Amino acid sequence: MASILRRKLVQSIGAAATLGPFAIGSSQAQAHKGDIVIGAAQPITGVFSFAGVAMNMGLNDYCAWRNSKGGVMGRKLRYVSEDSGFKLDQSVAIFKKIMAAEKPSFFYGESTQWVKAITQDAVAAGTVMTSSTSLASVVADPVNVPQHFVPGPTYPRLHEILMEYIAKTYGANKPRIAYVYADTEFGRDGIPGGKARAQKLGLPIVEEIVTKQAGIDVAPEVAKLRRARPDIIIFQGYILAPMPEFVRQLGEAGLKPQIMGTAWGLDRPAYDALGKLGVNLAGASMYRYGHETDSDMINQMREYLAKNRPDVKSISPFFISSWLSGMVFAAVAESCIKANKPLTLPHMKAALESMKQWDSGGIFGQLADLSGHQVPLGRIYAYDPAKQAMEPASGWIKV
Amino acid sequence: MSEFLEYALLGLLSGGVTALVALSFVLIYKGTGVVNFAVGEVMMLGAYLYYAGAVTFGLPPWAAFVIALGVIGLLAVLVERAVLRPLSGQPTVAVLMATIGMASIIHGGVEAVWGGDTYTPPTLLPRTPLLMGDILIPGTVLGNFAVAALLIGGFLAFFRYSRTGIALRATASDPVTASTLGININYAQRLTWVLSGLVGTVAGVLIASSAGLSPLLASAALAVFAAIILGGMDSVLGAIVASLIVGLVEALGAGYLGGKSRDVVPYVVVLAILVVRPYGMFGSRSIERL
Amino acid sequence: MRTGVFHETFAAEERLWDSATQRRWMAAFALALFTLPLWGSDYMLAMACIVGIHTIATLGLNITTGNAGLISLAHGAFLGVGCYTVAWLGKLGVPFYLTLPAAGLLTAALGVLVGLPSLRVKGIYLAVATLAAHFILTFVFREWEPVTGGVPGTNIPRAQLLGFTFIGDRRNFYLIFVIAFAAAIATRNLARTHIGRAFVAVRERDFSAEILGVRLLTTKLLAFGLGAFYAGVAGGLLGYFYGAITPEYFVLTLSVFYLAAIIVGGLGTVLGSILGALFMTFVPEVLRLVAHASSQWFPGVAGLLLPMGQVVFGALIIGFLVFEPHGLAAIWARVRRAFHLWPFKT
Repeated sequence: MASILRRKLVQSIGAAATLGPFAIGSSQAQAHKGDIVIGAAQPITGVFSFAGVAMNMGLNDYCAWRNSKGGVMGRKLRYVSEDSGFKLDQSVAIFKKIMAAEKPSFFYGESTQWVKAITQDAVAAGTVMTSSTSLASVVADPVNVPQHFVPGPTYPRLHEILMEYIAKTYGANKPRIAYVYADTEFGRDGIPGGKARAQKLGLPIVEEIVTKQAGIDVAPEVAKLRRARPDIIIFQGYILAPMPEFVRQLGEAGLKPQIMGTAWGLDRPAYDALGKLGVNLAGASMYRYGHETDSDMINQMREYLAKNRPDVKSISPFFISSWLSGMVFAAVAESCIKANKPLTLPHMKAALESMKQWDSGGIFGQLADLSGHQVPLGRIYAYDPAKQAMEPASGWIKV
Repeated sequence: MSEFLEYALLGLLSGGVTALVALSFVLIYKGTGVVNFAVGEVMMLGAYLYYAGAVTFGLPPWAAFVIALGVIGLLAVLVERAVLRPLSGQPTVAVLMATIGMASIIHGGVEAVWGGDTYTPPTLLPRTPLLMGDILIPGTVLGNFAVAALLIGGFLAFFRYSRTGIALRATASDPVTASTLGININYAQRLTWVLSGLVGTVAGVLIASSAGLSPLLASAALAVFAAIILGGMDSVLGAIVASLIVGLVEALGAGYLGGKSRDVVPYVVVLAILVVRPYGMFGSRSIERL
Repeated sequence: MRTGVFHETFAAEERLWDSATQRRWMAAFALALFTLPLWGSDYMLAMACIVGIHTIATLGLNITTGNAGLISLAHGAFLGVGCYTVAWLGKLGVPFYLTLPAAGLLTAALGVLVGLPSLRVKGIYLAVATLAAHFILTFVFREWEPVTGGVPGTNIPRAQLLGFTFIGDRRNFYLIFVIAFAAAIATRNLARTHIGRAFVAVRERDFSAEILGVRLLTTKLLAFGLGAFYAGVAGGLLGYFYGAITPEYFVLTLSVFYLAAIIVGGLGTVLGSILGALFMTFVPEVLRLVAHASSQWFPGVAGLLLPMGQVVFGALIIGFLVFEPHGLAAIWARVRRAFHLWPFKT
């Protein structure tokens, strides 16, 4: 008797579970007409979640902030995002779903492979402009990927900025430079550009170490690096680990080289941890930091977060990146609406490419030129142990 | 030459921690016949619990460590009761998938609670390096190896000389006969799971102290499969020796061919060995009854 | 109620769909699927394409692991082999009706190679050997830049037939659907041939099978090869669908995904493969839907629910193994039996 009862219970639960979501789904709230929709597939869970949460917050908060300032020419921004878990199957499915359901004019994606997968569909649809946090050089391509723009310089550009700075600072005593990077696209994309610029400037690259992405046990790699006795080590492709372990083991060998990095590798976890080990991290960053006070937009970001998300202590560059993408989306939309043109790809692309002197409110230190679908600007920052934060160490460099 | 010696030494020493993880796997396979694909996740969970105790609750590191061990032990009992017991008669692929399912649950749970960031747990061991001429052995590598060696030595002695150890070995080799001799099989198997979890936690804490704590820690256990096949899945000695060899080969590969080769060199070695000795160096050929 | 179905010849008994009602239902289903591009939304079409690709791959794994009992953890990598083969040949201008079989055959050859250890080792040793093969193959994907494009990945030129390009979900859907249908029927047919029966014999007791005259060498290698062939074709279709691929797609998690699909669906059955692939593809979608919907009533639940994707995945596998070891196919069979016997109770 009990087994029949159990069977019936399992069957009814199964039926409810299968039908439930569809019943709930059909009762979604209706959207307002005239809204400018920004869709997004964010990696809120999965291997990239530390960035995905920040990226999701950035775009969401920008839309809320902009709406509180009157929206774009009176039209509100509506942000629709779903979690993709950093899986290509899911992010492409989310793109198609949101495109069909919400008809967005802008879409923010999670990775380079996503951009490559949806480009043909996006161009064929002709109604959407995309962006992503990826700074890979392959997607900053106005010809092959016409609907996409990169909210910053590409990785090779960042490394070129770094090399120029090293050449200028060290002058005649050319330092021995070692590259340590992860075997991922984030790690590898910028290295050829950096190496080429180093060669042009006559800077010697004495060692090139590639590690697994997880970088769990690096003792043999450190041993190899030690033998090259570098003066500068450039890390690329890591957010935190294994940089502290490298520094610790090199310290045990009596070496204390200057540690440098770019972009996402210069975030708080990195400079805090390295600062604790007595190392002053330096590197090429494309945005101002969240604690700086000489930028209007960064101050607005801080104010907004203090009011609405008091538990967020520091602003990550991923947040700034998606906020910036939101700003560009809004600027393109505004430009099209002002010219009384519909938000279709040819007009949006033309609007983007006409933004040659765009003011980012101080996120970039100079006026940005988006005609190449990227912003090749950057600045060198260095860790100041007294202030326990990254401070500017050069002016804004354009490459 | 000193380069070769350094890589070799580093590899052998790091193989000690791999041996701990391999021990965790072999204990279960030998004791209960279950292939546990969740060793990496158990390791990771133990390390996260240690971190939670030491940093979030502010306990002294040793106390947090002991508490983490306790919680993992309890979890092992729970898992054995709730998941493995109902599946005892099923084909290999089913039990394998069950452990993979467990691994997913633990991984997802850890990500849900602690997120994807990397944390730095406090270290339990001193970090004095060893300098011999041109060769430098970092403090963490030495410390980890020392702990691993002590623990493994302890286990080998335990299995050889203590009553419980002998009872566990008896249950592993022939449960029916062991049961007739009065050994409580259920307790023995449960104890095996608990021991395996404890060993995994130690390995996890050791690795996290040097490499940082993040959900990627679980992938450190994948190298262990190469060691296990090489040594034979049901031989404790084989697991240890094979781990040292795999560590050696990996370090030499990383040093001479670059870090990328770490992913592939141990497996090429494994496949090569399988051609000659399919059940590994020390594994026992399973006798099938028709 | 199933009445009036009498088999008068052995051939009739062997038929795949032996009653008129079954044939009618099958035809209706096929028609509905065929016309999906006319009445389905873009999202549904995209999901149908993805499910189709996963179905073909799951069918393959079910032959190797479900029918023949040889555990394979390299299935995800086999998909990659198929995908990169199609990319390579496509860039050379080879049309799709040649690249797909070529990809399948190349992957099958690789599958036979990976399956060689099965002659000496069984069970878990074989599984770890396939794991080793998986890692070696993914290493090749990342490093062999001239052919696979390395870590940044590669583009795949779309399939073309006499000037008609398979761009967009609608057209790719037909390509995928036709092949998936053919694969399913072929697999169903395999079960009733002597090869299919040999697989099952090997799974149950390979010594006894050998005594009965089944050639172990050929059978085991054929099991691996066939499974890999399906994976290669599925990988090729994946390439044509996405148009660009990176090695990040073919990770161990993909192999585990397929293993989960065959367990949840039902080992060794075609219906199980289809249901399993469908189920596993939709679990993250349904979870997102639930999280999205519940976040309107209970904000903050989404933060708890979304990472649960992996937990749900693991819990499903364990749940099915403990409560329904024969998978969704068994549930389906029970429901069908209830209909066959209606109005009498089961």
